[in-house]
Amino acid sequence: MKRLLFTLSMAAALWSAACSGNGIVNPPPPVGKYTLASLNGQYAFMTNGESFAGGANATPLARVGSFTADGTGKILTGVEDVNAAGTTNLALAIIGGSYTVNADGRGTLTLQLAQSSINFGITLTSINDGLMIDETSNANQSSTGSGNFVKQSAGSFQVSGIAGPYVFDFPGLDASNSPESFVGEFTANNGTISPGFFDDNDNGTFSNGAFIGTIAQDPLQAATLTSFGRGIALIAGQNYVFYIVDATRVRFISSNGGMLSGDAVAQSNTVPTSVASINSSFVFIVAGSSGSGGVTRVGRFTANGATVTAVLADTNDGGRFIKTDTATNASISLDPANPGRGTLTFTDPNFPQAPGTYIFYLNSPTQGVIQEQTANKGGAVDVADGTLAAQTGSPFATSNITGTYALSWSGLSLQNGGGFSVQDEEDLLGQVAVSSLSFSGAADIFQFQSGAPVPDLVASGSITIAGDGTSSSSSNRNTMTVKLVKSNTTTVNFVVYFVNPQLAFFMNNQDANRTVAGALQTQQ
Amino acid sequence: MNATISSKTAILAFALALGFGTLANAQEVKQQDTQQLRTYSVGRESSIIGTVVKFDSASSTLPMGAHVLLQTSAGQIDVHLGNAKVLLAGHLESSPGDSLRIVGEPLALGDTTYFAARVVQKGALAVAVRNTKGFLTTPASLMTPAQKEALRGVR
Repeated sequence: MKRLLFTLSMAAALWSAACSGNGIVNPPPPVGKYTLASLNGQYAFMTNGESFAGGANATPLARVGSFTADGTGKILTGVEDVNAAGTTNLALAIIGGSYTVNADGRGTLTLQLAQSSINFGITLTSINDGLMIDETSNANQSSTGSGNFVKQSAGSFQVSGIAGPYVFDFPGLDASNSPESFVGEFTANNGTISPGFFDDNDNGTFSNGAFIGTIAQDPLQAATLTSFGRGIALIAGQNYVFYIVDATRVRFISSNGGMLSGDAVAQSNTVPTSVASINSSFVFIVAGSSGSGGVTRVGRFTANGATVTAVLADTNDGGRFIKTDTATNASISLDPANPGRGTLTFTDPNFPQAPGTYIFYLNSPTQGVIQEQTANKGGAVDVADGTLAAQTGSPFATSNITGTYALSWSGLSLQNGGGFSVQDEEDLLGQVAVSSLSFSGAADIFQFQSGAPVPDLVASGSITIAGDGTSSSSSNRNTMTVKLVKSNTTTVNFVVYFVNPQLAFFMNNQDANRTVAGALQTQQ
Repeated sequence: MNATISSKTAILAFALALGFGTLANAQEVKQQDTQQLRTYSVGRESSIIGTVVKFDSASSTLPMGAHVLLQTSAGQIDVHLGNAKVLLAGHLESSPGDSLRIVGEPLALGDTTYFAARVVQKGALAVAVRNTKGFLTTPASLMTPAQKEALRGVR
């Protein structure tokens, strides 16, 4: 792994904010190793967020596509598929565009469509991938959302390129625009999906079972398979458009009956088949909807066979913060009929009537997707899913939490736009250099009610390490404070769970005007 | 605090205000019930009728979102209305002195409770701010077929 030079991070930590003289504070010139040539090739991108277009009300929006960057600042070609609350716009040609990449890996991306363009802020996490924030704000459309892009391998652009077992997580909306989480696994072979298994939480109603499907070339856009890795799929009765990243990752977006999107990731043949072989600590993060609005939950546990100990979790349920320092009746089990599928349960003393229940699908011994299935007598307490990852590299300390990181979060916040205050989507993407657990850098934020993104905020803050969660002082938490400065100053406080020194999940654990969660991910 | 919902994009439509204020079947939530009230059930729904004392489209009162403080015959009740954009999309404006009918139920939030509205009615105009499972609706839930078709312009 290529890590940014330590001297570079030290220099970055010494940045000081520059004031333009009109009360607007701008970040200092970026430093780092990235150039326009760092974005070169074909990338599959995906965002989830919200749009405002044509006088209609703000509408949930998901997009998946492919663009080709030439390494000099030009976008050569591409295609995207859009789903706005179930209304689809398929195979939209990207006819050009442009991009910038600053030395710190931050930049801009403009994709030119036939009649309009869409704009993104980007932060490279390597020359093969990066994070993005939808920053479109023009006469045709405003849209925001968070997502990422991953370099594609054209050698896999064929139906048979999707082969073997995959684990997937498709969150979004059902056909009635109610929240839905659809996770599972399937095996593909030359266009046929042999019986897979799914777990669905559709508007609070759980279901699971076997399903079949197909993967095919799109007869209406046949050339997009070999050009962009794009095709169509039928999974458990629902239609999707897919984009092949490579043999290990395929991106999906539903094209009828709702708005679901997400990745299917190849499943290793080393996933544990016996719970006795699970001996690790894991971090998990889920986000979604509850009766209170948005909900985020981040936690960790240690599994030693079926025995689960050291359960910690933090929850933000519509601005209400709940800290879980212990759990009882904690256990983990595997489904012998479906490789990698398992169940985590524990009773949180904060919710004794609703034992925490989570279904997970491992795609490797250390990673997987997770869906919350906690319920009480009234049914599901929320519709939420996310990521499960083995915790490694502890103890986390100044010595290993260092270098440059992409900083991103997404969720809801109370916002004021044009005198009308409301809760609305908030997305942030930036880059920070961490040294001695202090950091500085820059970020873009889009609070959607304001109608336009705010680029180039000065981002600074600090991280406090209180262990990996297994210490006797279980009430301790790793925390992070982020200060954002432009024409005014905003400070957001987070609880942080480190997966490893290169990756951490966080959610705000103070300030009831915000329900956001995100990731701190090292740049390579 | 915003006393009213105002629309930048639409002319607001108003219906006749209700001329009375009573509390119908409102339930006083006992502390021990909170854990059982984490999820919404239409079987527990009640109806509140009252006069708006204060409306806030982005309240600091938990949970996050729009709240209305209603004066009822049983006293003042804080009601969580969810996403104010849904009321905006439904052209339902709420100002002090207005009479509202709320269909909803108490929900738990940690060790406290709040009254979660599912339907907000002002005169003949009613807007569903939650679905029957208790999850907040979005403006997309209120779209007409013509509005959905207009989304074909989204890029």
